[in-house]
Amino acid sequence: MITLLLALKVVATTPEYGAVAAAIGGDQVKVTNLAKATEDPHFVDAKPSHIVALSKADILIEGGADLEVGWLPPLVEGARNAKINAGGPGRVRASEGIQLLDIPAALDRSLGDLHAAGNPHFMMDPANAKVVADHLCDVFCRLDAASCPAYKANRDAFAAKLQAKVDEWAKALAPFKGKPIVTYHPTWRYFAARFGLVSEVYLEPKPGIPPSPPHLAEVMQKMKEQHIGLVLVEPFQSRKTAEAVAERTGARVVDVCQFPGGLSGTEGDYVGLLDADVKAIASALAAAK
Amino acid sequence: MEIFTLWLWPLLALILLPGLLVYFGLHVVERGIIFVDLALAQIAALGVCVAVALGAHPGHDALPWVLSLVFTLLGAGLFAWTRFRHPRVPQESIIGIIYVVSAAAATLVLSHSAEGDEALKNLLVGNVLLVTRAEVLRTFALFVGIAAVHVMLRRRFMMLSFDEDEARRRGISLRTWDFLFYATFGLTVTSFVQITGVYLVFSYLIVPAVCGALLSARIRTRLAIGWVVALAAGISGLALSVKLESADLPTGPTIVCCFGVALVVCAILMRLRKGSDPYLRSEGTTGRESRP
Repeated sequence: MITLLLALKVVATTPEYGAVAAAIGGDQVKVTNLAKATEDPHFVDAKPSHIVALSKADILIEGGADLEVGWLPPLVEGARNAKINAGGPGRVRASEGIQLLDIPAALDRSLGDLHAAGNPHFMMDPANAKVVADHLCDVFCRLDAASCPAYKANRDAFAAKLQAKVDEWAKALAPFKGKPIVTYHPTWRYFAARFGLVSEVYLEPKPGIPPSPPHLAEVMQKMKEQHIGLVLVEPFQSRKTAEAVAERTGARVVDVCQFPGGLSGTEGDYVGLLDADVKAIASALAAAK
Repeated sequence: MEIFTLWLWPLLALILLPGLLVYFGLHVVERGIIFVDLALAQIAALGVCVAVALGAHPGHDALPWVLSLVFTLLGAGLFAWTRFRHPRVPQESIIGIIYVVSAAAATLVLSHSAEGDEALKNLLVGNVLLVTRAEVLRTFALFVGIAAVHVMLRRRFMMLSFDEDEARRRGISLRTWDFLFYATFGLTVTSFVQITGVYLVFSYLIVPAVCGALLSARIRTRLAIGWVVALAAGISGLALSVKLESADLPTGPTIVCCFGVALVVCAILMRLRKGSDPYLRSEGTTGRESRP
């Protein structure tokens, strides 16, 4: 109870940051996620609990690559908490120090500049999760020096566990090097780059734009030409669209998620989530061979 | 006290702003054009969508605001112009058509824009929890201005809604006055919808007016009842969503459900009164015969 009172109150915009924060903070932090794992992170509906959590927070972790730009700023404004205002001591941009992919060469609105900063789904590469873990460890140490040794020990344990798993995942996906995959949204670019897959075909014609019939026809054509046998879809994306495409091309729909808790049994567990994702993708690739 | 720090501006928004909507609700219910607010909000949203498609950025550029105003006025003109008496075509059907076509047109206009969805959502799905001080003050100033116009010209506006025959007999230009009515109504709805979202606008317009009509035939009494219902439902909805921490209810839908409860209470009150009030028993509660 005493640790709970002294605990750092951490708010994460999306659950993968919350999971890493809990892994580093252990008993010394209390983590609240704003978006649910099954909720589209581009659109989150504000609830009173969000504002209350933010008003009491010591630390706010956001992606920092514009993913939450549509809903986070008014929530933070409503919470009136100087600690987590932009530039405040408790505001953490997880993307700091991470090389983002897909940064638009020129800002052209016709291409959909939803994310001018680059592709915000960088946590799907475990190497980036390691960077975020280090970053969070530094921030926790700065705000709670007394528990710093514990944070560092937790960080090292997390890194070791992650590294062991990364080797395992790389081995599981090694047979499919260079294989193309179809995804709903460009969420799996970092994942594909890390594990040697090719993620260049999306059900969305442009990020954030719902699939149109001509675009889906083009996708199905590509799937036939390139022998792509799987379509990745997340809980908050249109499974119906993925099913329609899969049915017409003989492909299979694979349920994956970028957030811990989006697949059953992965609640609050970043490593467990990636493990489930890798297993689902590897087995679908094997079946499609 | 949390209520005076975190929830002060949502609370003030729910106290200061609904008064004008309740007043417009009396007109809307009397005219039987229940869905006109949704149609006007959707037309204004279409204006914003066109601006976004032209490359403007909501929140930064003036074009979305200007076009939403222009489209609201166009919509007002459209509704004024389609107020006709056709034996087989009720005006409500025209309103429905305008609503669905402008909603579909917005989707078409935005089908090539990535920001569009967000822009559309921000317009139609406001969340009262996130209202800022500037928004409340700006909207309140606008509402005071609109209310002043309606107080000054109240006889005309009342006659238009509550006694159309008399207005025609006096040779009043229905189209001109209707345009003014819909223009002020459209401004009210489109500014309120950005703060609270479509469901709440609809509730604030219709439920208090219906409660008033259930309980009284006199316009002033209905307005007073409507204001009490609007304040009670808004404040209790906000309080419930904020105080029931374990339930963590989203505020907008909680307020809408409080309106549902308020309507049931009013219906029970009406039953109780009906037995003792010979006027209500014989005349019904439409209020056609009353004068402002």
